[in-house]
Amino acid sequence: MTLLLLMLALAGYLVYLDHTVRQQFEGRRFALPARVYARPLELFVGKKLEPGQLVAELKMLRYSANDDPTRPGQYSYKGHTVSVHVHDFTFWDGAQPARRLSVNFSRGAITALTDFQTGRNIDLTRLDPVPIGGIYPAHNEDRVLVRLEQVPNSVVDALIAIEDHNFYNHWGIDPRGIARAFYTMVTGQRVQGGSTLTQQLVKNFYLTPERTITRKFNEILMALLLELHYDKRDILETYINEVYLGQDGNRAIHGFGLASRFYFNRSIEQLELHQSALLVGMLKGPTYFDPRRHPKRALERRNLVLAEMQRQGLITQMELDAVRYRGLDVSDNPGVGASAHPAFLELVHRQLRRDYFEDDLRSEGLQIFTTLDPIVQAAAEHSLSRRLDQIERARRLPADLLEGAVVVTSALNNEIHAIVGGRRPRFEGFNRALDAERQIGSLMKPAIYLTALSKPDRYTLVTPLDDSKLVWKEAGTDDWSPENYDKEFHGEVPLRMALANSYNVSSARLGLALGVDEVIETAHLLGVEREMPPFASTLLGTVNLTPLEVAQMYHTLATGGFHMRLGAIREVLTADGKPLQRYPLKVEQTIGAAPAYLITAALQDVVREGTARRLSQYLPPGINAAGKTGTTDELRDSWFAGYTGDRVAVVWVGNDENKNTRLTGSSGAMTVWGDMMAQLGPEPLVPPQPENVERVRIDVATGLRADEGCSDTVELPFIQGSAPEKTAPCASQSTGKKIRSWFQRVIGKD
Amino acid sequence: MRLIFSRALIAIVVAGLLSACVTTPFEESPVSGNPAVIALADTARSDIAEYRYAQAAASLERALRIEPRNARLWHELARVRLGQEDYPQAENLAKRSNSYAMNDGALRHANWKLIAECRRELGDLVGAEAALQKSKK
Repeated sequence: MTLLLLMLALAGYLVYLDHTVRQQFEGRRFALPARVYARPLELFVGKKLEPGQLVAELKMLRYSANDDPTRPGQYSYKGHTVSVHVHDFTFWDGAQPARRLSVNFSRGAITALTDFQTGRNIDLTRLDPVPIGGIYPAHNEDRVLVRLEQVPNSVVDALIAIEDHNFYNHWGIDPRGIARAFYTMVTGQRVQGGSTLTQQLVKNFYLTPERTITRKFNEILMALLLELHYDKRDILETYINEVYLGQDGNRAIHGFGLASRFYFNRSIEQLELHQSALLVGMLKGPTYFDPRRHPKRALERRNLVLAEMQRQGLITQMELDAVRYRGLDVSDNPGVGASAHPAFLELVHRQLRRDYFEDDLRSEGLQIFTTLDPIVQAAAEHSLSRRLDQIERARRLPADLLEGAVVVTSALNNEIHAIVGGRRPRFEGFNRALDAERQIGSLMKPAIYLTALSKPDRYTLVTPLDDSKLVWKEAGTDDWSPENYDKEFHGEVPLRMALANSYNVSSARLGLALGVDEVIETAHLLGVEREMPPFASTLLGTVNLTPLEVAQMYHTLATGGFHMRLGAIREVLTADGKPLQRYPLKVEQTIGAAPAYLITAALQDVVREGTARRLSQYLPPGINAAGKTGTTDELRDSWFAGYTGDRVAVVWVGNDENKNTRLTGSSGAMTVWGDMMAQLGPEPLVPPQPENVERVRIDVATGLRADEGCSDTVELPFIQGSAPEKTAPCASQSTGKKIRSWFQRVIGKD
Repeated sequence: MRLIFSRALIAIVVAGLLSACVTTPFEESPVSGNPAVIALADTARSDIAEYRYAQAAASLERALRIEPRNARLWHELARVRLGQEDYPQAENLAKRSNSYAMNDGALRHANWKLIAECRRELGDLVGAEAALQKSKK
């Protein structure tokens, strides 16, 4: 009776195990991380690109230098020509085959682009995009799935020779191995060894890592059941995709598919015998035999595998001799963990979460094509880290007092090119670009001035503003009496100079005259979505925004009034390269073209002659950048937001605990901005002039119309009909002068 | 003989004038001097003909990354959105095109006509009329 019950219990348990094994093996799809890529580098004749930048991109793609780049993934660089054999790659709009290109350069641009084989000109092509990270399943497991047909025989042979030479004949277990395991256990040692490939797979798949006799028992039963249901090829293929083969920072390298790329920068099909042997040898201890960290050990282990293969007759003595003296041939670039640019990746992840389930992102192997420009990202990271170090040293500030953030976008479409979340860009921590909500100070002012310039009947760039003492009384709040940074009042100042010098008092008075609500509405039209309190102090930027929000606001200024929601993703493809989703460019004109044009002119004056004039130390003349400095009370925040012809960038510098940084917008953030932009070779800012805008020469002293007779003049844009009608006294066309010049003509002398 | 010749000449001239009226001048000139942009615009055009609007938009956006100030490309993108009946986007893209159109009167005309059509579709007849008036300027 007892025996019967026992048998029944065992049978029931077996049914349960069988169910588990089958369900998991069949239902199991490997969780594949979403792969995230930078923008592909486009190549065409006329493209602004230095050969060095192309080579840098190829290095990021782990292409290797080779005098004769006959294989995909190789390039050569001689004189003014880069010859590159690009990999095949499937983009959103289709597959691009591997081919060898010749790219000629002259004066910082591509001058010829030809197909090496046919010699024909190519209109347009692109490199494969640089992978910038993944959104990983549990335990940061990363893998590239392969089918058994793709796996070279050398891998399978080595695997069977070393791990389980009886694989094709056993039923899932090896009785001798088990006997040995029991023996070691009985003699008091820990249970180990004696596992077939099937058992190893069962262990990884279904079981926890502890070593107990029950577990060993389960393992044996499950291995037997697995072999009962599935053929050897299925089991082998799953094993090849499952096994752990090393660590890249916090990313776990699983499967031979990814391992071939990670260690050799090759697809699995391209593995050579000695490389296969190395990977198989590493299974025994991927950390202990890590070929990058312990090359000697790894080499010995590899040669042991090769010798064993020869002993078992899987390779000949000749084959062995041909490879045993070869080096490890491991690629130099070991990777950077989960991502080289965690701050950008985080933005991508957040954007994806709006449209996808978290589980799908972490398991479906989606391919995410982003807008990240590695060249811009590198410059932004570099400038922030370098400038903060320099500033701390030069000003004898405590080390690591300063933190910072950078956002760079295109000025011409909605794409975000770079995100830096702190001065240590590899560090995955507080992402200040997205999450640091800080007072924006004077960065708010363009919203005031834009509101004013939208009313050409009342305000132009030369309208005099009152910069005398102001006391603002508002029910429910204390009296408000803003001060200028220099603690002085400046009397009557032309509108554009009040902005250029960032005068607080005249700006506040202007904002109050327009209405705080209306200024806040303008900020919303510029793309600030957050609610702002309708207090007078909001005018001077006591509202908290993140650098990304500020970037959105200044982006709408840069586009001439077209709001485009900033984005980091272009397209999403499925794991097998089918288009899934595209994030199209959407534009909405929220600000009139003419006022937008005027505010840009005013912000160009900030750089030309205002608080940002020291930017000229960084940028070549003629760029005519537009921008605004921002400094908050007790020098807690140093901001600079600005744009050139092609890019918008916002830099914040401050301290995480709100300490005094002893920096203004122009001595801190602006220097980072300038240093970064200088590296990027910015395009001059020449906004297209709207139809209803005219340019009028103005006498600086009086703000009236000028001509050749005036010595200190400036040409300024006005919305048609709003320019001053009166002529300045200095002008030769002024009434008094007209008579005099007529007289001079008659007399014929001065 | 002379009469026939001169009549033929007149006929040729008239035919030429007529054909000029049918296609607007900006559509006869190439969309760009850059072969990469021309190739992308051609791809987009054949995609539009096959109603593959998403692909057409992708090609045009790619072209716009190369020549972001090309008013013709913005106009083409507006036409894609019009084809998709996304009238607000079509109108805004046409405005964007106009902001770069400078002295290209024919392109401005086409943009305002497109804007008028969008507004009409959205039931804004006053706005449509205003746009139509601008197209005639």
